[in-house]
Amino acid sequence: MLENNFTNPTISIGQLPTILTLDTQSLSEQYAPLNRFINLAFILFVCVLGMVLYFQTFFGLPTGLLNSLPFFIWIAAVLGFLFTWLSYARDLVKSYSLRALDLHYTSGLFFRKVVSQPITRIQHIELKRGPIERKVGLATLQVFSAGGEMHTFQIPGLPVETAQQLRQYILQHKDVIKHG
Amino acid sequence: MDKLPSSSATDSSNPAQTSETIDDWQVLSPIAILYFTASIFKHLFGNLIYLIPALAVSYKSIIEHPFIWLPLILVAFSLLTLFAFVSFKVYRYRLTTDNIEIRSGIFSKKYLNLPFSRVQNVKIEQPIYYRLTGHACLQLDTAGSGKNEAKLVAIKLDFAQQLKKRIQSQVQNNTEDTNQENTPTNSKEQLGHSQDSTSTIETMLNTRKLSDLVIHGITSNRVWILLGGLAPFYDNIFDTVGDWLTTLGIDLTELFSLQTHSLLEVVLYALSLTMLVMFVLVGFSVIGAIISFYGYTLSKLDDKYIRRSGLFTKHEVSMGLSRLQMIIQKQDWLDVLLQRINLQFEQSNSFGKNHNLSATSSKIIVPSIKPHECQALIDDAYPNNALEALVYNNGFESISKRFILRNILFIFMPLWLITMIPAVMDGKFMISTFICALFLCLCGLVVLRWKRWGVARDQNFVYLRKGLIGIDYYCFPTYKLQQTQFKQNLLMKKRQLATVKFVLASGSLKVPMITEKLAYQLIDEGLYKVESVHKSWM
Repeated sequence: MLENNFTNPTISIGQLPTILTLDTQSLSEQYAPLNRFINLAFILFVCVLGMVLYFQTFFGLPTGLLNSLPFFIWIAAVLGFLFTWLSYARDLVKSYSLRALDLHYTSGLFFRKVVSQPITRIQHIELKRGPIERKVGLATLQVFSAGGEMHTFQIPGLPVETAQQLRQYILQHKDVIKHG
Repeated sequence: MDKLPSSSATDSSNPAQTSETIDDWQVLSPIAILYFTASIFKHLFGNLIYLIPALAVSYKSIIEHPFIWLPLILVAFSLLTLFAFVSFKVYRYRLTTDNIEIRSGIFSKKYLNLPFSRVQNVKIEQPIYYRLTGHACLQLDTAGSGKNEAKLVAIKLDFAQQLKKRIQSQVQNNTEDTNQENTPTNSKEQLGHSQDSTSTIETMLNTRKLSDLVIHGITSNRVWILLGGLAPFYDNIFDTVGDWLTTLGIDLTELFSLQTHSLLEVVLYALSLTMLVMFVLVGFSVIGAIISFYGYTLSKLDDKYIRRSGLFTKHEVSMGLSRLQMIIQKQDWLDVLLQRINLQFEQSNSFGKNHNLSATSSKIIVPSIKPHECQALIDDAYPNNALEALVYNNGFESISKRFILRNILFIFMPLWLITMIPAVMDGKFMISTFICALFLCLCGLVVLRWKRWGVARDQNFVYLRKGLIGIDYYCFPTYKLQQTQFKQNLLMKKRQLATVKFVLASGSLKVPMITEKLAYQLIDEGLYKVESVHKSWM
């Protein structure tokens, strides 16, 4: 019994859809500022902790540590600020794109990386939402293939509705239904 | 869950009742007690490894008080036997037409129900103590986590074979069904074919002689694993060896002192001593190879590869051709000299979590075969592959020369400078020349690494070549890809270079610093193949 709509045209390499020209979608606008806020809050916490340790009078610290403590606090503050700035810039360039048959996630400022995940090879999907993400209405989409846990495809910072739509799209995809 | 322990407790206490209530739950043969003892012992021993350094430190004081440890060991041993006996007593299994149920566990009860159609792998294992009574273990792997595997601990070998055939025919029927859905064309032909093929006999593809195993032992560097395991004992070993040598009239400290001997002599002594140590270690490696690969046979039944091997514990691993993810042809520097190849048939990592090359892992390796045998096996598994032609014509596209520059300039050069500066400042001429020589060696290795690394592709396969002194070839069907990654940093972008990573179910493969265009082509073609072929990766 032959399938009627079966076609098998020759395709030259030039005609293949390429990941060079992906129509990328940026993540939620809240994602990068949120991460920046979390990072800054953490650095502030560390610095305040250091200062409390420095100014408190309840127990004595070794003099060596006491003298170098301000120096460490400064280093933590400067490095933390640099890191926050860098990771903010990195968060801004993260993007994803969905084609009919595969998912792509682009990231990296200096080290650019494009991960491509064919939908046929998807084993299962997870929507992950931490307490902060829940508060702001964001979600992380994790897609698992047989490539192992090391190679979990994940898109962070998606608005919940988008994430759910993506999940729904993948679950109802004919390739997943056939091979899942 | 609550009911299970009580029910199993009753049926272990009064067996007369069990025959009424549960008619077809079956008990293992008593020989299983041996198996349980061995497995508990193995488990305990695995944990005891961490205690060994502590024991080694207090070795003397322990030896001096036998009245403490002797009863302790006796108690431990009797407890162990008791444990083994009870776990044998509570173990029950039941077979129905298309699934298997196993109940086991003393404190935490386990109930496992596995439909045959979900079984991915059937392994038959025959430890040496089962050999006399003709029993065997049947292990069933599922595609899920490595933990959820069923193991029938002691059944008759012929029954195990029979069961295996039954399970595999069930799995095959299942896949045939899905195949029919996917490719409605020539389904009749396939069915007819499968009926034919189930009756065909096993064809032997390869056997390994003892001499081959000796070669494998010499060439495989399993020695280093042993060295790592012995690390806590180095001091003791060196001391005892030193003592022993002095009793023979050889004084090490005198041998190696530069006051009494010339430099050349000392070097020669050191060389011959390392040779001696290596010789002993290679001996161990050979023994290891013989233990795990004795009586090696690789045969093919229908589209299944079956590997049997083992001196003490006989293992039988079978792998369906469709489960095969990748073929790796490995040749270390010694293999190059001896003209031997290790061939590996890789399947999904999730089946066997262990990555070691021992006989227990679920991947199939063919140790130390000759090149033409290797090619025959590869052609048998992947009929249309062009690996031989590629190797012959050197059809691989090499990676960029900047790979050499990057590694030397950004990794080894800074290290070299950092170590050189203090050495030169202190005026230690010997050390600085040594560092320079090491640096040059490493640079040479980088160049070799660059020279080996290459990639090629054709209609159906992607081929990869890499290595350092030896050469390894990787070959996988493009549609087996799970994921692709494209990586590029700013410097690489400027030179229009990129790194590609192929993720397969058996692991990932990286091709660094190829031209951007080739990288895009590899990924685009790979994705196209995966999405257009509609073949399952399993």
